[in-house]
Amino acid sequence: MRVRRRSTVSGMLALALLGTACAPPTQDSDESADGGTVVIARSGDIDNLDPHLATAFQTIEALELVYDTLFELDPDLTVQPGLAESWEYSEDGLTLTMQLREDVIFHDGDTFDSADVKASIERILDEATGAVVRTNLLSIADVQTPDEQTVALDLSEADGTLPSAFTSVNTAIVSEAALEAGSVDTEPNGTGPFVFDDWRQGETLVLGANQDYWGDGPFVEGVEIRVVPEESSILAGMRAGQFQLGILGDPAVVDQVDDELTVERTAELGYFPLFLNSERAPLDNKQVRQAIACGIDRQQVIDAAAFGEGEPTGPLATPYDTGVFDGLPCDQTDPDLARQLLTDAGVGDGFSIETIVIQGENEAAINVAQSLQAQLAEIGVDLQLVPLETNVYVDRWLAADFDSALSANGSSVDPQITYAKYFTSTGNFQNVAKFTTPELDQLFADGKASTDQDERIEIYGEIARTLLDASPWVWLYSGFKYQVLQPELTDFVPTPTGSLKSLRQVHLGS
Amino acid sequence: MTGRYLLRRLLDAVLTLFGVALVIFLVLRVIPGDEITARFGIEGGALTDAQIESLRSYYGLDQPLPVQFFSWLGSVLSGNFGVSVTSGNAVSELILSALPVTIELAILASIIGTALGVVLGVFSAARPNSVADTAAQGFGLLGLGIPNFVLAAAVVAVLSAQFGYFPSAAGYAPFFEAPLVNLQQQLYPALVLGIGLAAATMRTTRSAYLEEASRDYVRSAKGKGLAPRRVRWRHIMHNASIPIVTISGIQFGYLLGGTVIVEQIFALPGLGRLVLTGIEQREYAVVQSVIVVIAAMFVLVNLAVDLLYARIDPRVNLS
Amino acid sequence: MSQPIETIEGPAVAAAPLRRGQWLGRLWHNRNGRVGLLIMGLLALLALASALGLTPYSPIAQHPEDQLVGPSSTYWLGTDQFGRDIASRVCAGLLASLRVAVISVAIATILGAAGGIIAGYFGGWTDRIIGRLTDVLFAFPAILLALAIVAALGRGWFNTAIAIAVVYLPIFVRVARGPVLSVRSMDYIRAGKVLGYSPPRLIARHVLPNVAAPIIVQVALALSWAILTESGLSFLGLGTQPPEPSLGLMVSDARTLFDRAWWLLVFPSLAIVLAVTGLNLLGDGLRDVLDPTRSQSRGRRRRRR
Repeated sequence: MRVRRRSTVSGMLALALLGTACAPPTQDSDESADGGTVVIARSGDIDNLDPHLATAFQTIEALELVYDTLFELDPDLTVQPGLAESWEYSEDGLTLTMQLREDVIFHDGDTFDSADVKASIERILDEATGAVVRTNLLSIADVQTPDEQTVALDLSEADGTLPSAFTSVNTAIVSEAALEAGSVDTEPNGTGPFVFDDWRQGETLVLGANQDYWGDGPFVEGVEIRVVPEESSILAGMRAGQFQLGILGDPAVVDQVDDELTVERTAELGYFPLFLNSERAPLDNKQVRQAIACGIDRQQVIDAAAFGEGEPTGPLATPYDTGVFDGLPCDQTDPDLARQLLTDAGVGDGFSIETIVIQGENEAAINVAQSLQAQLAEIGVDLQLVPLETNVYVDRWLAADFDSALSANGSSVDPQITYAKYFTSTGNFQNVAKFTTPELDQLFADGKASTDQDERIEIYGEIARTLLDASPWVWLYSGFKYQVLQPELTDFVPTPTGSLKSLRQVHLGS
Repeated sequence: MTGRYLLRRLLDAVLTLFGVALVIFLVLRVIPGDEITARFGIEGGALTDAQIESLRSYYGLDQPLPVQFFSWLGSVLSGNFGVSVTSGNAVSELILSALPVTIELAILASIIGTALGVVLGVFSAARPNSVADTAAQGFGLLGLGIPNFVLAAAVVAVLSAQFGYFPSAAGYAPFFEAPLVNLQQQLYPALVLGIGLAAATMRTTRSAYLEEASRDYVRSAKGKGLAPRRVRWRHIMHNASIPIVTISGIQFGYLLGGTVIVEQIFALPGLGRLVLTGIEQREYAVVQSVIVVIAAMFVLVNLAVDLLYARIDPRVNLS
Repeated sequence: MSQPIETIEGPAVAAAPLRRGQWLGRLWHNRNGRVGLLIMGLLALLALASALGLTPYSPIAQHPEDQLVGPSSTYWLGTDQFGRDIASRVCAGLLASLRVAVISVAIATILGAAGGIIAGYFGGWTDRIIGRLTDVLFAFPAILLALAIVAALGRGWFNTAIAIAVVYLPIFVRVARGPVLSVRSMDYIRAGKVLGYSPPRLIARHVLPNVAAPIIVQVALALSWAILTESGLSFLGLGTQPPEPSLGLMVSDARTLFDRAWWLLVFPSLAIVLAVTGLNLLGDGLRDVLDPTRSQSRGRRRRRR
């Protein structure tokens, strides 16, 4: 255990510290140095072993190492082949045919084939499973398996989003045998680069290298993910060389990282919006919503709530983000225009709205809320903050029981998957967003049916302009996610989704 | 007499524990949300009614409350504490891995607290109103006045900011697997808890010592020319030990359920943290069982203290 | 919060009935009592200043251009990441803590003392049922019970006060019950019963004055424990909710910023320590004054974590 002394501290504390610092190194750090295991530290544990039911980010991050998906995302978030080597839509867009990779075997030795794909998709589509991404696959009417390496999906409507939908580990391919045995939620058995070995809840998850992995690698003997609840402890452990990779979210902690460690910053896909309830007065007036959007200085929110660590964001993420802020009433903060809009709307004297704020493990939301409260007070809008514990918040949010609401919102690479559920009249979250128009319905339908990427970028740009103009929500910013690396860990490639999948290609040492 | 006394106390304990089980069961049901909302969060909105129904029956949430309570109680009595919803681990396994952490922490803190408290107490009472006495009393006041989360936060802040060091950065090392690492990880939290205990013990020791020192037999012992050290430890402390033993025992009992914040700050996977995360995740079976286990230990420790009390002080009559 | 609760264990011998006014004077002449009174007077003034809006800034006013500024003549105790004035926030935090403490202890005292007096005066089944309920509450790990109650009722300062009150209730039951038991058999009570006086009248005239002394001592100790618990729950994010300032939450938020802004951790911590110590001194002083037989922690005490 290495101790760096930055200043002289006298007394009992220093003595006690030196006493422990002289103790022999731990068993664990010996193993990681000699055995080539990548030790990862992060603040949360997985909550589930079933990839189709996983919702916690930590779970998804970990299960991605064990399971493969039909498609994958590269660091630029474009769709790449996964277990499906190639794919093709039929002329009418109603059939998606995929050729599967050969010579892939599950961790238990079973060979992967089209029957496993069929069984996995059918499990997700079965309502009783409770799979969250079921809604993204509803266009699938039937799964055909003409031969062992071919899967053909019969679709009830054209659906260009399927390849990106199939990049989520929530659509992981599990083995048909495991499904029949009912062991999916207890004995992870995937085709991924790492093999599930041991899980001690709240402490550690141990994965071994899959020697028969179909791709290159892995080049390390395994991965161990440790749960270290306090982020400052993760940093301390990185300094002491106990971890090769630390996953952090708190900018205040990242600020203290020493020079010899590498910090990879990636803007998260998820983002902070201020949800407005467009059915409640005075928020039912578009000018009022625009005024709120114009009254907020996003950079100031980032500075106060995230120590400047974040990027202002609109509705779209790369590769769909084409800078649609241009030409809108206020692409920059404009308090004067905001006040003017409020006066025009007849509420120039100001008004008060209740804002429910999620209060969970992520403290950023309440900080964002406090910054917004101070800023909007300048234009006469009084945000009354009501911090709520996660479960309570979710109940009220789902019931749209709020004037405005603040919590981080998850996002998918494909804007169709991210937004169709909110802003179409058939979306299952349209009750939360309370903002649908026939034009938006049509745009989303076109976007979904199209399989031409350029055409889709065009369509979603139009949707983004519509949303920003009507401001049913105010898009604020995306925070950064941080991966801190030891110098001996090479070839790690961070992605905006926070995926750790590139661990299959990393090297340790030298 | 002792046998009947014991029997009655044990019966009392069982009734009390039943009450504890009932109260915590009811309190947990009042908490908004259930395992399903805790598990799915915002994504829960994507579930259809049929999906929710099947999940509810999977978790046994569709049963009426009395059925849920007695079926849980019944399985606890047969040694089965239920299963953690998130991990699928048996609750008894979770408790068995968390219990030693908390007990070790409580023992270490008690040792530090009692040793430090008794020494300081005797030290200050032997020289009443001296500078040393005032200093020791100041320590006593401060020790009671500093909340342990403030002390713990300060220790962690200084350790990690100044030294880049944190004992629990690696995973928790159980005592029997890696004793040295384990003691490193337990040292600071035990010190933090121990200082609060020491303050209380010091004050009790001081007043008990002063009370005994003013008695006749002490004066006559001194008059006989016995060495002050001998008088101090053989005579005074022997008799002053009753309140000290009592307070140490009771503190130990409360410590078992009082380590939650320190466990959280120092990342020790003990009982307190199990309850805290259990409440967050609506892990009913986990929280109920841990609370009942802690309460049972508390009741037993109190009984033990009373028995010990009777051993030391023959005037106490157990009936 | 996780500090021990200190109580006097019943059944205590009834202390001398209180005479009004006298004990306050004696408290001032007691060293512990005087220091305690002075500290609490000072803190109460600071809290009052915050309540009346007399602090230099509003505790939630943000100054984006002055983030994380150290103590200076503009900001006496520095600012936080939003550029909010720490001095004003500490005063507001004190107000919040004292408010929760006073309300929770008031609830616990009234309900607990009533329960204890009823149990002691009537005895029999009433006593047994109340005793059983207190045993149950006593067996709960205090802080975990408060935590569960706050989770059940929802976060916020008032629910925190209720949770603390429930945890402290059984102690007041026991403190009140002891003296009542010994008073009950006194001749003048028996005489009153024979004369047909109603129980409420007998309790008010003859029992209350006898239980007042131990209860007053206990109130001071309960207040100190309530402040510990409130700040502890807030530290865990379960107590007073932002943007309302709270000392525990300030300490919690300050931890990761300690490297660049030590004042964020130091001043709120100091406020908590002063408040708890002041109330402990007051408790010591009251015990010396009101209950000479148990002064300086004599006799058996009960502590609670």
